[in-house]
Amino acid sequence: MASAPEADDKFSQAYLPDFCAAGTILVILLVAELVAIVLTLASFEPGNFLTELSKMSMFLLWLALLGTAVLCRIRPWAENQGNTQAFVICFVVLVVMCLLLAEVTYWLTVRFGEAVIIDDTHAAFLMRTFAISSIIIALAMRYLYVSSEWRRSIMLEAQARISALQALIRPHFLFNSMNTIASLTRSNPKQAEEAIEDLADLLRANLGVTKDRTTLKEELEVAETYQRIEKLRLGDRLSVHWDVAELPMRALIPSLTIQPLLENAIYHGIELLPDGGEVNITGRRIDDDLHIAIRNPVAPDQARKKGGNKMAMDNIRQRFELAYGNRGKVDVEETDNEYSVQLQFPCEESAP
Amino acid sequence: MNVLIVDDEAPARVRLRRLLEEDGAHTVIGEAGNGKRALELAAELEPDVVLMDIRMPGLNGIETAHHLNTFENPPAVIFATAYDEYAIEAFEASAIGYVLKPVRRELLDQALEIARRLSNNVLGDVAKKSGISDRRNHVCTRLQGELKLIPVSEVQYFLADQKYVNVFHLNGQDLIDDSLKTLEDEFADTFVRIHRGALVAVTSIESLRKTEDGRLQIVLRGGATDDDDGLIVSRRHLTNVKRRLKKG
Repeated sequence: MASAPEADDKFSQAYLPDFCAAGTILVILLVAELVAIVLTLASFEPGNFLTELSKMSMFLLWLALLGTAVLCRIRPWAENQGNTQAFVICFVVLVVMCLLLAEVTYWLTVRFGEAVIIDDTHAAFLMRTFAISSIIIALAMRYLYVSSEWRRSIMLEAQARISALQALIRPHFLFNSMNTIASLTRSNPKQAEEAIEDLADLLRANLGVTKDRTTLKEELEVAETYQRIEKLRLGDRLSVHWDVAELPMRALIPSLTIQPLLENAIYHGIELLPDGGEVNITGRRIDDDLHIAIRNPVAPDQARKKGGNKMAMDNIRQRFELAYGNRGKVDVEETDNEYSVQLQFPCEESAP
Repeated sequence: MNVLIVDDEAPARVRLRRLLEEDGAHTVIGEAGNGKRALELAAELEPDVVLMDIRMPGLNGIETAHHLNTFENPPAVIFATAYDEYAIEAFEASAIGYVLKPVRRELLDQALEIARRLSNNVLGDVAKKSGISDRRNHVCTRLQGELKLIPVSEVQYFLADQKYVNVFHLNGQDLIDDSLKTLEDEFADTFVRIHRGALVAVTSIESLRKTEDGRLQIVLRGGATDDDDGLIVSRRHLTNVKRRLKKG
């Protein structure tokens, strides 16, 4: 069974800033310096400001540079640990580094006497460093997390658009349909005319695929138009059983989902069965979710040859992920003589 | 020329027939909706050219062309396809006659002019490039007059018999004129050679048993075995047979 998680991998990737880039380093140093100013102002003692600020800056700039260097090295690995995990990893790494640096600073101070930086006890100094650094680093990570999410959604959208273009009607279908029409122009001009109208509607729906959602009513109409054209070609070998009365027709669905699945069912299933077969399309409403299943018989020797319809499936998965996140599901089940795809997605109705 | 049209889609056949007949130079002597029917008609009507779709249920166009090659006087073959960039490359490379649907009269005429019999090598090449499996799903016999297709999945073993090969399958036995070597190459993943003259389907082997004179004989599923020496495993092939059996 091919399931969604494998497709999820590239969607859950995190997007950390490029810590090795000069621009990023400059920003980090500026932020570190700002924090140093804020912290120094908070403990403001007249006359001592510049001395205090220089001590604080020295500590924070060291931290910022070392931290950036480490993040630069671990970024490729961290990004692949998943979106949330990547930021937790960065957080922990930075806080630990901060504490180490604090420890080193403390011992340097003790060693060289002067108490130039620290006038606390050892434990109090570490605790204070820990508290301040966790809060500031957490805030920074939160900011990076939000912008990573934003980039992720942009990437997803771009991918979905590209694959929507790739999923346009199969050339095979187009040429076969034209062949059918060429034949009908003389034997049955009226049917030929209707077939051209249907084909035009179908192409129009395909060209409009960049609008992301459509109503179930429209989506089912496109699929039925497609079915009519295939019926001319395949005759009695093709039958489609629609059991969708239970679905609310105003509900929204990513456009061009049912039609490509019906196309797969015919191309990989019905067309390769000498006596043809029946595609079953079932729609159910369960609580707030809609479930649509498309099932088709497959020739026994075809069941093993997988992968042919991957493009349409990947495309639908991506668009479901983009539209519904983890509230939508696309499952495939394959047996020796049946192939079925189940869609599950929340019912959102368009305004009447 | 006498042409046999083979396509699983009725409208496609209607159009090809019209194009050929309007021309006057050619006669459509038959139409078949699938590969099996095509072989029967070809055997009966002996067409000069078979004009055939590639993507068909059951026997696809390429497998059907393979079987046509077992005929005494194989007809020339022209493929018709709606769209298949890889197959077209192979057609061009091997100078195979082909037409693209919807078919143009002039191109059909050209293809008919150069139509020729296709060798198995050429067909294998087309199959490979178009991603269609080159392995036959059926073996074909027409030695006893009538044409018969035997699904390879029902074959228990092949036994060389002088000039021919005897096919033992679930519904009896038949003679085919493929060579044992060809069959061995083609079905290497499901059949195993047990002696110089026999190939046995690995899945139909139940066990090995010792005969009275100490040789090893194959017992087929269902308990059947060959009364003669047909299923004796030769010493040379024993290791390989055992290895294949272990693999399942």
